[in-house]
Amino acid sequence: MVLRRLLRKRWVLGVVFGLSLIYFLTNTLKQEERTIRDRTLLEARDPDHRIPWKVRFNLGNSSRPITQCRNSIQGKSLLTDELGYVCERKDLLVNGCCNVNALSSRQYICKSCLANGCCNIYEYCVSCCLQPDKQLLLEHFLNRAADGFQNLFTAVEDHFELCLAKCRTSSQSVQHENTYRNPQAKYCYGESPPELLPI
Amino acid sequence: MYKNLRDCQIKPMELFQLYLYLSPQMAMPHINLLTWNLPQLEAQMPWRYLTITMFSPLSTEYIVAFNGYFTAKARSHFISSALKSSEALDWRIVPRKNPASDFPSDFEVVQIRQASHSSLLTLEDHPYIKRVTPQRKVFLPDPGATCNNDTRWTQKWQSWQSSRPLRRTSLSLAFGFWHATGRHSSRRLLRAIPRHVAQILQADVLWQMGYTGSGVKVAVFDTGLSEKHPHFKNVKERTNWTNEKTLDDGLGHGTFVAGVIASMRECQGFAPDSELHIFRVFTNNQVSYTSWFLDAFNYAILKKIDVLNLSIGGPDFMDHPFVDKVWELTANRVIMVSAIGNDGPLYGTLNNPADQMDVIGVGGIDFEDNIARFSSRGMTTWELPGGYGRVKPDIVTYGSGVRGSGMKEGCRSLSGTSVASPVVAGAVTLLVSTVLNRELVNPASMKQALIASARRLPGVNMFEQGHGKLDLIRAYQILNSYKPQASLSPSYIDLTECPYMWPYCSQPIYYGGMPTIVNVTILNGMGVTGRILDKPIWQPYLPQNGDHIDVAVSYSPVLWPWAGYLAVSISVAKKAASWEGIAQGHVMVTVASPAGNNVGGEMTSTVKLPVKVKIVPTPPRSKRVLWDQYHNLRYPPGYFPRDNLRMKNDPLDWNGDHIHTNFRDMYQHLRSMGYFVEVLGAPITCFDASQYGTFMMVDSEEEYFPEEITKLRRDIDKGLSLIVFSDWYNTSVMRKVKFYDENTRQWWMPDTGGANVPALNDLISVWGMAFSDGLYEGDFTMADHDMYYASGCSIAKFPEDGIVIAKTLKDQGLEVLKQETAVVEGVPILGMYQTPSEGGGRIALYGDSNCIDDSHRQKDCFWLLDALLQYTSYSMTPPSLIHSNSRVTPPTGTDRPLPERLEGNHLYRYSKVLEAHLGDPKPRPLPACPHLSWSKPQPLNETAPSNLWKHQKLLSIDMDKVVLPNVRNYRPQVRPLSPGESGAWDIPGGIMPGRYNQEVGQTIPMFAFLGAMVVLSFFVVQLTKSKNKPKRRKPRVKRPTLPSQPPQTIGPQHTRPRTLED
Repeated sequence: MVLRRLLRKRWVLGVVFGLSLIYFLTNTLKQEERTIRDRTLLEARDPDHRIPWKVRFNLGNSSRPITQCRNSIQGKSLLTDELGYVCERKDLLVNGCCNVNALSSRQYICKSCLANGCCNIYEYCVSCCLQPDKQLLLEHFLNRAADGFQNLFTAVEDHFELCLAKCRTSSQSVQHENTYRNPQAKYCYGESPPELLPI
Repeated sequence: MYKNLRDCQIKPMELFQLYLYLSPQMAMPHINLLTWNLPQLEAQMPWRYLTITMFSPLSTEYIVAFNGYFTAKARSHFISSALKSSEALDWRIVPRKNPASDFPSDFEVVQIRQASHSSLLTLEDHPYIKRVTPQRKVFLPDPGATCNNDTRWTQKWQSWQSSRPLRRTSLSLAFGFWHATGRHSSRRLLRAIPRHVAQILQADVLWQMGYTGSGVKVAVFDTGLSEKHPHFKNVKERTNWTNEKTLDDGLGHGTFVAGVIASMRECQGFAPDSELHIFRVFTNNQVSYTSWFLDAFNYAILKKIDVLNLSIGGPDFMDHPFVDKVWELTANRVIMVSAIGNDGPLYGTLNNPADQMDVIGVGGIDFEDNIARFSSRGMTTWELPGGYGRVKPDIVTYGSGVRGSGMKEGCRSLSGTSVASPVVAGAVTLLVSTVLNRELVNPASMKQALIASARRLPGVNMFEQGHGKLDLIRAYQILNSYKPQASLSPSYIDLTECPYMWPYCSQPIYYGGMPTIVNVTILNGMGVTGRILDKPIWQPYLPQNGDHIDVAVSYSPVLWPWAGYLAVSISVAKKAASWEGIAQGHVMVTVASPAGNNVGGEMTSTVKLPVKVKIVPTPPRSKRVLWDQYHNLRYPPGYFPRDNLRMKNDPLDWNGDHIHTNFRDMYQHLRSMGYFVEVLGAPITCFDASQYGTFMMVDSEEEYFPEEITKLRRDIDKGLSLIVFSDWYNTSVMRKVKFYDENTRQWWMPDTGGANVPALNDLISVWGMAFSDGLYEGDFTMADHDMYYASGCSIAKFPEDGIVIAKTLKDQGLEVLKQETAVVEGVPILGMYQTPSEGGGRIALYGDSNCIDDSHRQKDCFWLLDALLQYTSYSMTPPSLIHSNSRVTPPTGTDRPLPERLEGNHLYRYSKVLEAHLGDPKPRPLPACPHLSWSKPQPLNETAPSNLWKHQKLLSIDMDKVVLPNVRNYRPQVRPLSPGESGAWDIPGGIMPGRYNQEVGQTIPMFAFLGAMVVLSFFVVQLTKSKNKPKRRKPRVKRPTLPSQPPQTIGPQHTRPRTLED
């Protein structure tokens, strides 16, 4: 009986209503908020939007004390560190840098690379691309990167990442989809795709 | 140019409804979808496709889809009025007996006998009929069920041009449905009810420990994902790599796959807190290109993705840019999980990239632990003809009737290896998040943990199940006590263990036989690159007759990325030539990897590979059959057309033509008849013919070295016999079956016919024999056996003292070229000949290889093979053949010219025999025969356990250290709600603590405060008002009940704008 009367009380009903309202509001607003977050993500890759090139060119000043290096990770026997040194895996230091004093280590080396900026070995391509004088070429490339590359090159953050990404084989490297344009020199830091060889 | 999803998009249309329809949306502008042309729609050999299920068309049943929902009566009325115009058509509506049949429906199954193209067109002309599609039936896992491949040819031959065999399709999109395994018995139906796969695999044990995949970046390469899908809370990024300007999924495949990995509500995924990166690489038309993949993969590397799911695949493992890129990804520590393919139950159907050593290839099982019929299987075919294939898939998991996220909302269930793949990818994501030291997790260590923990299924061989069924909890235990090391897959060689080690266990080894090769994969969890230190050591166990075998080992010079091969060739020592028994020993391999932590240092890991073989005395010559593998070529790399021209949905010959792939049934049959079958992976000059009774050449595409031709002639003079199963070769037909391959943007002209008849004719011409360029097809009876000749040639020339059998067949060449039907009488198809020299061998020719090939076989002719082997091996002429009235005088080959090689063919590009020259290609110099360098044995006085497979243990792993919370064996079906379901007021820190709760937590107080203020002010106003008024008791009025309104019928026809009109 008491309970029934209590339920008929206006303020009880009001509290129930209020709580429901709050629940409703939070849920709606929360969803909206999430939508907004998602949308900003999409706007970042709006094609009309001018790409804010985030690439910082550090000019590989070797006198700068560096404690930790990123390197090209993937190589079968060679690696390139972010200072542009190519070395064999055994000459890699604990901090990820090439041992500069090792015999195999060479900085900014363009071995196996052709005049058109395409190389036979990925690690040499990255090293060559890290040469300070390649900056102009890369900036030029970035400013007119093809549509398909926007996703990739807007996400690149510095010179080293750019060279790692640029030297990889990509849609520009193939003919007839399943064949390399030039299987001998397929890693390119330059603007032009590999030279087209007949199958 | 396309990589297509192979489309069999199926969606369930009503409750308990068991029928499916095929979505005709293919990216083929020049194919009129209204034309009734199912095989044509499927006439692409997908390059990579999304994998869900395989269906076979039922020959005469069609699904008529309507524009809206109509009652059974109305539907029947529509169909009869639509078909009224096409006179005398025999049709009936297939009754559907299910609870849903009382309700309006939007489709009907109609059985039409001799459905003509025009009658189907008239059906589609009806205003209420949306489309007509063939009824397709899901292959049941019933071992006796043979698939009905009798798809009648309703389409014209021109469609060859429009077919695009090399499309990379995204591995299947045959949307399965939950009845897939249990249509025929209610008991199975119940058991096949889709279940939460994450729950079955006990992912909730890890969830309860607080692991939910957080901090792991998982990439889904698929058809995209809608922006506001309610199942996902942590979609970090969606990117589009196709030429369509959308990020959304228009097919549902990508959503499903993402849901299995990371859905947080309803049908829960494995790792709801993982960071999802959605890569849209397939268009809504299921088109994709290698180049899109390359760019998308580069982005995945840049984003440092941890786990990448590829529910796609295709047969082209020679797409070097793609294969290299997958290696590059794993080398960058991306764990790749991929679907093995939906081309089962045929062997030799593995798809790339799942067949790569560095990728985790996943096959499918149903909830009753049977290998799903559609799951691709069989050894890899990269290594043929000289080597032997690797074991794939790596593991299997649920792939049949699995529930996952629907395209917009809700759940659906699908079948296919593209379902199984995200199950593993989700489990891997969850596992990665459990590991504290992420440095230890890499593609190799993850694969090692998965295969070491997998549960082996009984009665299934390793080429179907790999290492067995995924066991998430055990994988967790192994991974969390993992120490970097190398391991082997398979981890032991027991050639006596049946059925797991099929086909090795099906034939014992003996002295003088071709060495048995086991292709073992070395997984190296220590580093992306490694090498084998020194040489592997062979250590025979003397007490167990280990000295009776010789072992040779070859291996990858560099193990990169994370893996390499170790091919073990086993041969019987001479001293055991007449010995019978079991021999054992082991091979010891030491793998070294550069240790990243000290200059010049190396980590090493030593693995033992136990070997156990059964030896028998060398069987007599007549029992031994040698299979020619060297002269079998297949796609990839070139266009080698299918041997059965009717099978236009599968225009390429791509299963390897090996006795353990698509000639598996034939091999089993020969074994059961007591023959010993060996494989020759080298030129004919490389075997000792005095050892063998019969040399079998089936469907050979390769050319012959002149030395081979003279060697074979000598061998046959000395008593070797030859059986040739040829196939069609007609240059006009070859020109006709060329097509524009939009995948590679070039015309594809076949380089041979079904077989290379001109080359075969060069080989057999010394005996006055030749095949013709005729192309015949048809049913006939031979010696009381029903036979089917599927696109074969005839014998053009045969010695006059030979036996030749002729049959009445249809001229398929005429049908292909001019769409005319002509019956030809007396086509010589079988010839048997005893060479005249003393002790000379016998030769048997047959014009068609389809009846012994597993792919697309309709009627087998193993009895004929038996008869021919009786003839060649024992010189017993089968009486049923000689005395038949089909016997004719041997043809002399004078009435029409023998086939010439197709001008301008590019066989030299793929041939091991020819090389390009100005003018005609010329044979290369004969290569040296393969030479094995036998390891020097280092005998041990040891005894091996009788059972080599205990549980493959990774070294230095103490699983007991990894404690689990109390794992309840019985889990109630009702699970606590996930945070997403329970809403904002749920107590934070429920079973899935994560970002989500915290965020909600931050927004709650503000809204709560605001809301409370509103309510409070309202009451203050009310209160003040009521205080001013005197309290009055309202009289209680009993309201009369309203006259009840007629209840509104709720039915689809009312909810739809369109109403029923007759």
